[in-house]
Amino acid sequence: MNSLLRILGHLEGPQTVGRGPLFWALFAVALVAACAYPAFSDGYTVGNTVYFFTWVFIALSLCLIWGYGGSLSFGQTAFFGIAGYGYGILTINYGSAYGFTLVAMLLAIAVAALFALLLGYFMFFGRISGVFLGIVTLAVTLMLERFMAQTAGPEWHVGTARLNGFNGMSGMPPITIPWPGGSIVLFADIGLYYFVLGLLVLVYLGLRILMNSAFGNVVVAIRENPERAEMLGYDVRKYQLITFVIGAALAGTSGVLYTAWGQYITPSSMGMTAAALPLIWVAVGGRSDLTSTLVGTLTVLLVFQALTIYGSQYALVCMGLLLVLTVLLAPNGLVLGLMRLLARLSPSRRTGGV
Amino acid sequence: MDIASLVFSSLYQFGDAFAFLVLSACGLAVIFGMMGVINLAHGEFIMCGAYVTVASAHAGLPLPLAIAAGTIVSALVGVLVELVVIRHLYERPLDTIVATWGLSLIATQGTLIALGSSMQGVGTPFGSFQVGNYSYSVYRLVLFASALAVLGGLYALFNWTRFGVIARATIQVPQMAAALGVDTRLIYSLTFACGAGLAGLAGGLYAPTMTLVPTMGATFIMEAFVTVVVGGADVFLGTAPAGAVLAVVKSAMTSWQGQLFGQIGLLVAVIFVIRILPKGLSGFLLRERT
Amino acid sequence: MPLLEISRLNKHFGGLHVTNSVDLALEAGEIHCLIGPNGAGKSTLFRLILGEYQPGSGHIFFAGENVTPLKSFARIHRGLSVKFQVPGVFKGLSVRQNLEIAAQRLHHGAELDGEIDRLLDFLGLADAQAQLAGNLSHGQKQWLEIGMAVSLKPRLLLLDEPTAGMSPEETHATGAMVQRLNAEGMTVLAIEHDMAFVRQVAQRVTVLHLGQVFAQGSIDQIVADERVAAIYLGQAHA
Repeated sequence: MNSLLRILGHLEGPQTVGRGPLFWALFAVALVAACAYPAFSDGYTVGNTVYFFTWVFIALSLCLIWGYGGSLSFGQTAFFGIAGYGYGILTINYGSAYGFTLVAMLLAIAVAALFALLLGYFMFFGRISGVFLGIVTLAVTLMLERFMAQTAGPEWHVGTARLNGFNGMSGMPPITIPWPGGSIVLFADIGLYYFVLGLLVLVYLGLRILMNSAFGNVVVAIRENPERAEMLGYDVRKYQLITFVIGAALAGTSGVLYTAWGQYITPSSMGMTAAALPLIWVAVGGRSDLTSTLVGTLTVLLVFQALTIYGSQYALVCMGLLLVLTVLLAPNGLVLGLMRLLARLSPSRRTGGV
Repeated sequence: MDIASLVFSSLYQFGDAFAFLVLSACGLAVIFGMMGVINLAHGEFIMCGAYVTVASAHAGLPLPLAIAAGTIVSALVGVLVELVVIRHLYERPLDTIVATWGLSLIATQGTLIALGSSMQGVGTPFGSFQVGNYSYSVYRLVLFASALAVLGGLYALFNWTRFGVIARATIQVPQMAAALGVDTRLIYSLTFACGAGLAGLAGGLYAPTMTLVPTMGATFIMEAFVTVVVGGADVFLGTAPAGAVLAVVKSAMTSWQGQLFGQIGLLVAVIFVIRILPKGLSGFLLRERT
Repeated sequence: MPLLEISRLNKHFGGLHVTNSVDLALEAGEIHCLIGPNGAGKSTLFRLILGEYQPGSGHIFFAGENVTPLKSFARIHRGLSVKFQVPGVFKGLSVRQNLEIAAQRLHHGAELDGEIDRLLDFLGLADAQAQLAGNLSHGQKQWLEIGMAVSLKPRLLLLDEPTAGMSPEETHATGAMVQRLNAEGMTVLAIEHDMAFVRQVAQRVTVLHLGQVFAQGSIDQIVADERVAAIYLGQAHA
């Protein structure tokens, strides 16, 4: 009981913005509003909102690795793609009966995490960091895109699942939950909405606890000064690798949910543009804070979709511009800057350390 | 196929891969080696060079002049980019990567909007020649010669010219150079322009061999990345030997299993190299030398 | 058995021998100062002891164990700890969090909070605990880093110029701090240029010159040694 309280105590801490009754009251209001929202909307709009939610996981993964860990990983889309294709291949081959889609989801995420373990071993135990880490991870995701793009021929299949080259894979079943008296199929509307929302809240709170725990302390210590962290007795490479693998699993979660949502996945989800988008959400939101990343991602996605009405090419130009301007003018992120400002104005702020 | 033509074929494949790796990478390597900045818009500078080259050629300019035009325009755009964006981020090299990625996105999509999804290319000049049962493109030999010429030219530039010597001094001890009255901002600006111009040159040289699309930069950038990662921060001790080593890997894998496996081979080679030589070949060679 | 024993340690960068067959033994419980002109190889020796550099040849024994093949973090686990020459605090984090990161490997839960409070008092940084470490004065940063190093409860504490940039008063306070730690049983090896500090704390002194052990003895013996004075000639801070 005591240790449970201790763990829950990590919901607040130096690594996350937002503390005190006011913050949690706001959180509760937002959660209630999110739960009530489908009742005031139509299936299509709810489905569209789920689409936004699916991207938040990959944004959080980048926040974790880049914002907290200080390692530039431009290849989060590689794990997104691997898990997405993994889910497709598994479910097309074995169907959705007996809750297999949930198993497939976990397996696909595990495969992405395993791939990250392998890649991360070579990178972190080779002690490469900084710009090299960024370009190696980016090269990996571009390579995967090229690989999948040339799998158009009928010889490229895994079991009954055709990879289909540039057109991508489609026709996989949505996530299905076994239930007495008939399975619940989570099509891209209200059912999937609650599933993804629940997952999102769990991941968000879980990451808050993780980053404010002893582990999170070491992760930010490595970002601040890896040599000092090593000389306090921490195996820097191990912590970087673990963070990288957790991040890959989160990116993989996005990949699976996205694939299950639209029942398709294409190689371009691992391409240059796809890899740039999470970077924009996270940079604009505020990479060194989970809440800022969450809010920033949803906001930028919303703006992006609104702009797409005028043509997605124009929207992408705007996104590029937004990224350049953010880096030049607000390197800590817009949402984070705003939240810090609010925290300064708020009277409930505690001045103590913990 | 007899031995002689087999040897020639292998050499030709190697030369082709070497030229592509070195020409793709040297602009990126100059900027990274001299300024510690990775320019993620590198591919878009290549694209810019290619587009300007082809447009000039369509306008009636002979191909060598058209390529020169592509190089110069890219370099000028480089000056502009350095002035507006890069200059403000020297203290934050990691943020430079992110900002140049934004530029890359703007350039790709901007080109798509302005010029459409593809541009009519110019044909590959010089035709082909026959060795054994196979025919080979003369232009590929020109590309190989160009790669060697670029390396030679860079060596001359950085060792024998006033700019080169001052640039290297600036990179090693910026405060000292500034104290001696060197305009370090100008040096950084020119170095960035030089890297951008080299990217434009690569685009111009390869323009006759491919279809021009706004996303063509991505075709080059992975090879450029891996060459710079394997090579490390020095153009001569890094990029050139890395180009040679990777060209062997790539051409061997390509002739064994095709284009794609050539690229996969590259990536796997890179991942092994970073485990063994975190500072790249140049770091390794420099350590052995001292 | 000495706590730290360095035998025939060699390290060279290219043709330059930075440490040349260095032998050094540290008895448990002593405060030992390492002095020598700039470029004598003092900091390199620290990096070798810590495992940041691998020696060309030679061995380092700690508490009887050959630690030469171990990575840095593993040597820290054996009971080594260090304060760097340039303060290596986590600038973007609060003072309290700096100490928490250091102390959390040995302490948990409420006990950790108590330990941090104790350290803050010991360092005289209790009022500054919520500040970012990057905003501290230079001397305070040095103390904070000493505190972080001490929180690991090391058997051997390595201090690389602990008083650099400090006023005479701060230097003296640091000396007293080191003596208190020593009284609690900590062995200390310090690189120091400030002879007042050396005089205050050192029980034995080793002079390093051109990568070799040049002289060893009590502070009075070293000061009286004319050869030592000779190698310092021309060095302003002798």
